[in-house]
Amino acid sequence: MALIERFQKTTDIGYWQGQIPLNYIYTVGRAGEKFFREIINGKIFGAKCEACNITYVPAKIFCEKCFARLEDKYLDVGTKGKVYTFTQCYETYEGIRKEKPSIVTVIQIDGTQGFLVHWLGEIDFEKVSIGMPVEAVFKAKKDREGSILDIKYFKPIK
Amino acid sequence: MSKRVAIIGIGTTGFRATTPDVSYRELTYEAAMKAYLDAGVEPKDIGSFVATSEDFLEGYSISDEYSPDQLGAVLRPIYTVPGDFIHSLASAYMMILSGVGPISVAQGLSKASNMLTLSEMVTFGMDPIYNRPLKESPHAVAGLEMARFLYETGTTREQCAKVVVKNRKNALNNPYAGHGVLVNPDYVLNSEVISYPLTQMDISPHSDGAVVVVLAEEEAAKALCDKPIWIRGIGWCSDTPGLETRNWAEAIYAQMAAEMAYKMAGIRYPRKEIDFAEINDEFSYKELQHLEAMRVCKKGEAGPLTEIGGTEITGEFPVNTSGGCLGVGNLYELNGGHKVFEVVQQLRGEAGKNQLKNVTTGLAQSWRGIPTTTGTVVILSN
Ligand SMILES: [Zn+2]
Repeated sequence: MALIERFQKTTDIGYWQGQIPLNYIYTVGRAGEKFFREIINGKIFGAKCEACNITYVPAKIFCEKCFARLEDKYLDVGTKGKVYTFTQCYETYEGIRKEKPSIVTVIQIDGTQGFLVHWLGEIDFEKVSIGMPVEAVFKAKKDREGSILDIKYFKPIK
Repeated sequence: MSKRVAIIGIGTTGFRATTPDVSYRELTYEAAMKAYLDAGVEPKDIGSFVATSEDFLEGYSISDEYSPDQLGAVLRPIYTVPGDFIHSLASAYMMILSGVGPISVAQGLSKASNMLTLSEMVTFGMDPIYNRPLKESPHAVAGLEMARFLYETGTTREQCAKVVVKNRKNALNNPYAGHGVLVNPDYVLNSEVISYPLTQMDISPHSDGAVVVVLAEEEAAKALCDKPIWIRGIGWCSDTPGLETRNWAEAIYAQMAAEMAYKMAGIRYPRKEIDFAEINDEFSYKELQHLEAMRVCKKGEAGPLTEIGGTEITGEFPVNTSGGCLGVGNLYELNGGHKVFEVVQQLRGEAGKNQLKNVTTGLAQSWRGIPTTTGTVVILSN
């Protein structure tokens, strides 16, 4: 096919469809180990940098501002926070329309500078507002497996 | 300051939603051929090449290895930057400053239409342990950020809709743009909600295309080119990427990248000293958020400025005369490339129906898209 020629029919255009399976295991790391062992206990753990006066959630082993090690600075930050921002999402991660939209929120955990991204439940979307106090609702203890999904969702504090 | 460096050649394929008759290599070849012709150079004259690519989008686990041939860079100094096109431009600029050769090239490409699972690919950019288990659309990240931006600044959804109307209209008069259309703000506001307050029309549709830019050091630039476009300042910056620690209130990455470029260019009052800008608008609100982050507008003033037409082609500070990502299309790693291309065209007086009058300095800014917090800025003068 020379440069001056052009395809006349879309069905004549050649292509090859290729896919390949790529599977991973992601280790949670030392701070993740602490965070997810404690989530099984119904607790949320952060890490505090005293020098910067910043509490990170989830826990991390270093302060990203001053680069100090925070491995012995883990602390229970409680399970309450405030809605920092929120959205009602109508699309799955595959880009397909959901049957029922979900409320996704960024929760700032009280007394910290850290956020968790999670669902908001037990409320209508129209009633959600920025600054609204919320708390984590955990799965039944026997169903927890050390995952961010051990938190079912956050719910408004009445 | 050290040596002056100018853009002496630009080439593009133009940008379309699909490009079924060419391969990704042929896209780059066409853009490279045009850029070299525009600059009056041949590959052998070029000291080094910097390509831009992102493995998952290209569909190769080492897509950088597939960069040389279509650029005329086989057995020549070349490497690939997995960032925005303007990162590659910065590298090509540094090649000249560091004496690798007086002429260098930056390339970028999008063949997004090849990617059958684009949404999953973007999701794969999120944290696997804290975010991906929720299996939410990556557009939720944009919805979350847009909601906070509206709350922080008092910007309205209507003002965001005006960005869409303006940019898609500008694209109608840009022959390279793939998504020009005339719509009214109500159409944008009433289009399908994807992640409230973000609607389908607030999201830039993807496009394919390639851009190649030739740079030269002052002496070579003056010898080869009648209208060299000088690089006055360039900057890049990344915030912490995690959704758990990032700054949700402001585009601080854009602010820091712009300040770096302003400092290099000796610019103190961007609104006065820059005539127009191409701003990353992958989502409508991003244009406003970025304008405020870069001190073109004060916090909360980009929406009102847009509402009164201040960012139109006829306005006081034209933004995205090309049509932006909303009108040209989302080109992913190439987004900065089409922005640089448009700024060069405007400064040369070759922007056709969208040509601005008496412009001497323009700014191109980009962002690497959700879920990133990486921004790039370049300031150009004729
Ligand atoms: Zn610190």
